[in-house]
Amino acid sequence: MPDGAMGQGIGASVLRKEDKRFLRGHGRYVADIARPRMLEAAIARSPVAHANGLKVVKPPGDEARVFIADDMAADGVEPIHVVSKFPGHKASDYPHLATDKLRFVGEAIAVCLADNRAAAEDLVAKTQISFDPLPPVVEMLDAVENPPALVYDDWGDNVILDSRFEENVDGINSAAVSVTRSLRMNRQAVNPLEGAAVLAEWDPRDERLVVHSSSQIPHILKNALCECLGLRQSQVHVIAPDVGGGFGYKCVLIPEEIYIPWVAMQVKRPVRWIQDRREHLVAAANAREHHYSVTLHADADGTFIGVEADIVVDSGAYSVYPHSNILESTMAGRTLHGPYKFSAYKVRSRAVATNKPPIVPYRGVARPGICFAMELAVDAMARQLGREPYDLRMQNLVPGDAMPYKTITGGEFDSGDYPEALRRAGSLINVAAVRERQANREADGCLIGVGFGCYIEMTALQTSAAARAGLAAIPGYEQAHIRLTPDGGLEIGVGVQNHGQGMETTLAQVACERLGVDIDMVAVRHGDTATSPYSTGTYASRSLIMAGGAVARTCDVLGENIRRIGAHLLQCEFDDTRIEAASVVGPSGNVTFEEVARVWHRNPEELPADIDPAGVEVTSGFRPKPDNSPFSYATHACIVSVDPELGQVEILDYVISEDCGTIVNPMVVDGQIIGGALQGVGTALLEESRYDADGQPLSSTFADYTMPGSTQLPKLRLDHLVTPSPLTEYGVKGLGEGGAIPPPAAIANAVNDALRGFNVEVTETPITPRRVLATIAGE
Amino acid sequence: MKPAKFEHQRMTSVDDAVKALGEADKEIRVLGGGQSLGPMMNLRLAQPDVLLDLSRVDGLTDIEEDGNRLKIGSRVTHARIEDGEVPGTTGAYMQFVASGISYRSVRNRGTIGGSVAHSDPAADWPSALLALGGHVTAAGPEGLRTISLDGFTVGPFSTGLGFDEVLTGFELAVLGPGARWGYYKVNRKPGEFADAIGAITVGAEPRAVCGATESAPFRVPEIEQRLSAGADELSVVDARNILEEHDTGFDDYELQIHAVALSRAVKRAFE
Amino acid sequence: MTELSLKINGEDIAADVEHRLSLADFIRDHRRLTGTHLGCEHGVCGACTVLMDGEPVRSCITLAAVADGTEITTIEGFDDDEPMSDLRQAFHENHALQCGYCTPGMLIAARDIVTRLPDAEEDRVRLELAGNLCRCTGYVGIVKAILSVLDQGRA
Repeated sequence: MPDGAMGQGIGASVLRKEDKRFLRGHGRYVADIARPRMLEAAIARSPVAHANGLKVVKPPGDEARVFIADDMAADGVEPIHVVSKFPGHKASDYPHLATDKLRFVGEAIAVCLADNRAAAEDLVAKTQISFDPLPPVVEMLDAVENPPALVYDDWGDNVILDSRFEENVDGINSAAVSVTRSLRMNRQAVNPLEGAAVLAEWDPRDERLVVHSSSQIPHILKNALCECLGLRQSQVHVIAPDVGGGFGYKCVLIPEEIYIPWVAMQVKRPVRWIQDRREHLVAAANAREHHYSVTLHADADGTFIGVEADIVVDSGAYSVYPHSNILESTMAGRTLHGPYKFSAYKVRSRAVATNKPPIVPYRGVARPGICFAMELAVDAMARQLGREPYDLRMQNLVPGDAMPYKTITGGEFDSGDYPEALRRAGSLINVAAVRERQANREADGCLIGVGFGCYIEMTALQTSAAARAGLAAIPGYEQAHIRLTPDGGLEIGVGVQNHGQGMETTLAQVACERLGVDIDMVAVRHGDTATSPYSTGTYASRSLIMAGGAVARTCDVLGENIRRIGAHLLQCEFDDTRIEAASVVGPSGNVTFEEVARVWHRNPEELPADIDPAGVEVTSGFRPKPDNSPFSYATHACIVSVDPELGQVEILDYVISEDCGTIVNPMVVDGQIIGGALQGVGTALLEESRYDADGQPLSSTFADYTMPGSTQLPKLRLDHLVTPSPLTEYGVKGLGEGGAIPPPAAIANAVNDALRGFNVEVTETPITPRRVLATIAGE
Repeated sequence: MKPAKFEHQRMTSVDDAVKALGEADKEIRVLGGGQSLGPMMNLRLAQPDVLLDLSRVDGLTDIEEDGNRLKIGSRVTHARIEDGEVPGTTGAYMQFVASGISYRSVRNRGTIGGSVAHSDPAADWPSALLALGGHVTAAGPEGLRTISLDGFTVGPFSTGLGFDEVLTGFELAVLGPGARWGYYKVNRKPGEFADAIGAITVGAEPRAVCGATESAPFRVPEIEQRLSAGADELSVVDARNILEEHDTGFDDYELQIHAVALSRAVKRAFE
Repeated sequence: MTELSLKINGEDIAADVEHRLSLADFIRDHRRLTGTHLGCEHGVCGACTVLMDGEPVRSCITLAAVADGTEITTIEGFDDDEPMSDLRQAFHENHALQCGYCTPGMLIAARDIVTRLPDAEEDRVRLELAGNLCRCTGYVGIVKAILSVLDQGRA
């Protein structure tokens, strides 16, 4: 291996290169950037969930500082329009600023500019808004069955897409045992610590729009800006500087990313908008919200036969670019099977429009809901059969010797041993000890329960799968650009965006593994459309698979070019050279990259005239062949304590046994999984974007939206299986999202185990004290 | 999320503040540590025209025991109380309460007087001090007066303080060395505002307070009588039955958690 | 406008600012010390934590006018501070940061813990950290880092 003895390549817990700036307060987020003559924007937003006849009166005297939809329309700005190729998908526009109709509380109506944010907010207060209220569509099941109104007048109903996924439906009839549950994962907010932020200015010197945005997808944002504003690609430059967490929210376009740049072009001054926490919670980053009516069918011996479900996903008022408003409903419908073997499948899934903010992809995308539904159904089946839930899972998981395994809905699990992950998690959590403990009363009167959550996650969604699913956004290949710098270092440009995942380190490790360059000599650049290869960006747990693969492949091409130069310097044949520890090694000696770089860049006279001028600057790419996605998987298991007097749930122990294939940086992998797991705990126990019957948000600050903190998950143990994926460079699988997927399932199952003496089950997240007490009371 | 415009005035004496309050024809608020008012102003839920900043006013930061009265200045921070500056058993009780208020960086600025004058129903001090008993001292145009803590908190953001009065401090009952106390706060995670509070002191006269209600915290005489009669426990069922006789507006969940808070406060007092 | 004079990271500063300006916005927008971050602007998340006269405070809900006459230390002002140097190294080694947004406030809160509570064990550290939100790390690395600095001090 070229990495040699440096210990900086694949598998090394290299300390992160990006830490230094953050530890000194030298990170640079959008809000940290100020431009001369910059104006700050504040947004007048809808105070009502549903209305038409919107009229806006700009504050007298300040009309030139306030912009509304009519101003944009007069300038020919196009709305955001996302059409899925899925048959039957009802298309809709997402207006940047509300036109006649208001569709959720917080929808942007007017942009107000001033020298500072406080003064801009003063202008918001002076902007007069009037409208004719309509009955709001708040509850998704009502929206389908008993709609109080139509979110889109011309649709005829509120169903965005009604899709069915059916295989061997009649097989269900042979079931000896069936259990049905009605389950709900409520709406929540994404809440990266840095909200969205946009700073835009027209650069008259370069004749281009320069937009800084806290984005996971700078190239996609650039596309949208060109489409909406009618600009050529050469006229837009997007920079995502340091991004303070994304988790999926920042892989969609938000209206501010269009109208703030447009406003900046109108006033010919830089304009900055920094989303505040209330805007984030109320007007933007909503996610999840699934309802499942799920029936699990099994043989008398517990062998699963089929799953039948009616899924409703509350997609909110608009379709977000580029992932659309059916991403969750179709993924839920197609992959409800999870890691289990089924011979029959009958799932209907509907995406529904309501007068709430559009839902956005959030870490796990649909799978936290799928996993919650399936895993609670599995436990219900175990109770029905009088079986230990662990045993029933073991009986039905797709076994390791079945890999690669075709799923009932046409997917393909590439590799892994799902039962082994369960076995290890079960052994770590020690079910037998819990059963023993449960036989005795706890001293504090609390009830103890153990629960499991198993999941699979398709990572790095590939072209043909995305096309087959009719998704609006179809990713392709991934490129990396690598330059051997004159000092013998590497500068790597990638189109994915790093916002906490440690890619400035892990992608450097890949290069280090390939070429043996010291990691301090490798710089990874990203987040700037002017300096990075085109990419659909960072989402779907794809970055290390795709950009990592691209870095590896590009290193190979670069390595060959370097060897050619080295062969000349060593006066030997190309075929007799190899790369080792940042040197070209030949039969009679070696030459360092530093020397190759010196000669190539500074002393080309030392090279023959016919040397290939392609040189030491290479762009190449990667995509799995065939373009299938590797599946990560894990079992989470936990022990909880339920206080039956207060309804509070405390997590006593939590274990994770996971397989993300080959691990590039164990420290970073653990960090991603732990961070995801705590977000899952938030979904399970704390976080909820609540709305009243009028569609008014009730969770508009961190005082009424409870975020998980340092005390929620005190004990956590990780265990890793490593089954390299046959599809990727080094066998890596995606792992950024997985940690967040099964905690709601595992925790709910543990709570239900604790409550089994009452013969009741919680069926809804978050599992709040109020819900627990209501459940115990049989309500 | 920035506040509406206001004028910040640095007061140098309580008298100046009282005078300013009396003369005002606009909305005027006294600024303590600003840890509750600050967020409300940032959210523009509070839009005062004038803020009277008492941080330069001398004499509001003292803690002294004076016989059976404990005098605490209104600008004493939660952090100082958490760090044990209040003596005796009363100090231990107040230390426990203070350490559960929000977070250290808020406790460094937030003041006991500000908390009581602000009168957020979910805050700790209105309930905790009511369970201790004593008086609020207030300066007004007529000079200083004392107001009993019983009934001082009227409702959400509403107290017995006149519009032209400044809360200057407290004269609190001193718990003897053998006195017992118990404080139980129900909340979702450490530092969050309370969903329910049970506060018990068993000194010369037992006091029991049900706090974090929709309105003001209130004493629960039935529990106090039981404690006077020597009871050293209170079941949740009994607490529920007792609370049901009060006009609380609680739904079943709220009734339950307030009953549990009181039951567990009694338990802690006698542990 | 109101006049203030204060010290930030040892430097004497005089300024004339709007009454409603927060200390955080003064530090960030007027002094261009952007390491102090705003995460919620209502005193819950802790990203804006700075030292005022040596004690951690929320700069988002503290008025600049109230900071008149005080000494402020922001994340940029700890270059020669031993506990902060130890914490920075420990945060680096224990993967106590990912996106970095909460990190400045988290470090200042952590410094308060290691200096004020030298005997703190894990439960206490977790309790004391409850006022600083991190959305990325799950806190495991942060708690480990703080405990490792506490252990060094106790060794």
